[in-house]
Amino acid sequence: MKIRRILAVWTAKAACGICRHMGRQGVTWAGKLALMIYPPVLRELAAEVRGKIFIVCGTNGKTTTNNLLCSALEAEGQKIVCNRTGSNMLNGVAAAFVLAAGMDGRIDADHACIEVDEASTRHIFPQFHPDYMVLTNLFRDQLDRYGEIDITMDILKGVLDSSPRTELIINGDDALSAFLALECRNPSVTYGISEQVAETSDTDEIREGRFCKKCGARLSYRFYHYSQLGDYSCPQCGFSRPPIDHDARGVRVGDQLSFSVGSERIVANYRGFYNVYNILAAYAAGRHAGFPLTHFNQMLKDFHPENGRMESFRICNTAIVLNLAKNPAGFNQNIAAVMTDPRPKDLIIVINDNEQDGTDVSWLWDVDFDRFSGDRINSITVSGIRCRDMQLRLKYADIPSILDDDVESAIWGRVIDGCGNLYMLVNYTALFSTRNILKKLEDTRS
Amino acid sequence: MKLTIGHLYPDLLNLYGDRGNIACLMKRCQWRGIEARTIGFESEDSIDFSLLDIVLLGGGSDREQMLVCEKLKKIRQAFQSYVEDNGVVLAVCGGYQLLGRYYKTKDGLIQGLDLVDLYTEQGEGRLINNIILDSPLCKMPVVGFENHGGRTNIGKNRPFGKVLYGAGNDGESGYEGVIYKNVIGTYLHGPLLPKNPQICDHLIKKALERRYGDIDLKPLDDRQEHGANTYMVKRLMK
Repeated sequence: MKIRRILAVWTAKAACGICRHMGRQGVTWAGKLALMIYPPVLRELAAEVRGKIFIVCGTNGKTTTNNLLCSALEAEGQKIVCNRTGSNMLNGVAAAFVLAAGMDGRIDADHACIEVDEASTRHIFPQFHPDYMVLTNLFRDQLDRYGEIDITMDILKGVLDSSPRTELIINGDDALSAFLALECRNPSVTYGISEQVAETSDTDEIREGRFCKKCGARLSYRFYHYSQLGDYSCPQCGFSRPPIDHDARGVRVGDQLSFSVGSERIVANYRGFYNVYNILAAYAAGRHAGFPLTHFNQMLKDFHPENGRMESFRICNTAIVLNLAKNPAGFNQNIAAVMTDPRPKDLIIVINDNEQDGTDVSWLWDVDFDRFSGDRINSITVSGIRCRDMQLRLKYADIPSILDDDVESAIWGRVIDGCGNLYMLVNYTALFSTRNILKKLEDTRS
Repeated sequence: MKLTIGHLYPDLLNLYGDRGNIACLMKRCQWRGIEARTIGFESEDSIDFSLLDIVLLGGGSDREQMLVCEKLKKIRQAFQSYVEDNGVVLAVCGGYQLLGRYYKTKDGLIQGLDLVDLYTEQGEGRLINNIILDSPLCKMPVVGFENHGGRTNIGKNRPFGKVLYGAGNDGESGYEGVIYKNVIGTYLHGPLLPKNPQICDHLIKKALERRYGDIDLKPLDDRQEHGANTYMVKRLMK
């Protein structure tokens, strides 16, 4: 056992402990330190995982899908390494392994479930080749960082070509994912929803990939679920939605979600149609890897969404739901989920433009905020670094809003003067700070 | 008064919040009691430019631009007559590049519309940043975001603005965009118009004057627009 590896593990654990003590996350810093002290630490620890390594990629739903998959395998009695906090670049992934290692610098795990930022796959694959890659979807996201969605697809194709044994679990309803699977020739299985779901009303939201990636002709759709997800085929070259291996049927959306896959009826106490895909992806991955998943429904019942994915808080008498919304597809789905709640509600939208958010906020104009008009919205407050842009976006949808660039004061304002039912939609870097504020207020005021 | 906006190829060129430019044009007409409508022309549609007062050509990925340039050949003549007849055009990002003679990428040459004497060549790396301009078209600084791999040479044409912060046409000349007759070509999205209401009003005014003669636009309450604009200017120029 190399002394530097042990030192890397110890230092990372200590760094993370100190950060947590100071109320900061510190996971990526811990990973960075470990890699600096002992560069092969990730490669070596990943190699010590006894069973399979799953990675979860895709624009939206990575954290939820990966955490569900991890919980599903844990419910089968497996010991899992997982980056639950959603730190998904090289440092965050390294941290997941380092922090899971023992004081002897070794890892004791049956499997690993790791979410990986698409662009970071280039740095992860040289460290380990995953057995499975779940690809949730490919939407437009943070265009200033990735350039264009085509670039993301090229990156994924590159890493998959370098690892031909990695099996893909893809969303067959996404033409871009299906095309990628076709291009890279890795073994693949699909999940999807083969029937129109009544609760998903069609909107004129912007769709990526409406044209056949293969020949450029316009794809025709039998139906859409949301964004570009649906049942598509190319009238020119015959490219079409692949056969679906894990098909969700009888989908019900509302206060809770339910659907059947195979002979299993799956029920979850979440809102948001998009969560059907997240649950289905985790289920498909687990089943494809050979786990019976007999405890899947019980796991869902016990699963408490964390990290601001529909996470609940209560301050004084106000019920608060915090949710991450970082790109048009995610935001539109969040709006749909909020609007399934028929009660009056206050909203706070927090928009930052830090590097991890994408410094370009023009995507706000691709979100269908118009759906927030109507009498079930009591008020909308805009906050965060780019609250003025957000306010302007709403103004041009004829929706008035309150501007308060201090998040804590915005929350407090709604707790005192709101209708008791508050939703917070925040983008990436706003999430951690908002969550800390909510936890603090919850502890001191309730 | 009526104003008709033609949105060219929203099915192909719709990156980076182009919808915000349309929403801004529409609302700022409607708030003044000017009837406004937008017609989206998809790539198979034919276009009657005589119906249009403002043409919006948005941005797309290189791949999508390649698809568009095929369609553009069919409308080139009519589009050119519209431009020469002082038709108002806002062309953003990919749309800006398509105004010119060509866009040379490492994968090949995309033929442009050749409506304005300019050309674009792909450079090393993308120019991605917030950007601020001093434009002859308005008193306020123009604030936006740029994200382009192409470097555009506008020859002897007037630029849309002088770069106060950011890269601009090529990262070297110190200028951004182009003004030709009533055409504005620019790399600025963000989108361009909501935070720069004076540019939006300039386009509306030019379009209405072309149809109805001299016009004075009723001032609007632009405090929120100015607030968002000034915040970025202060933050970047300090």
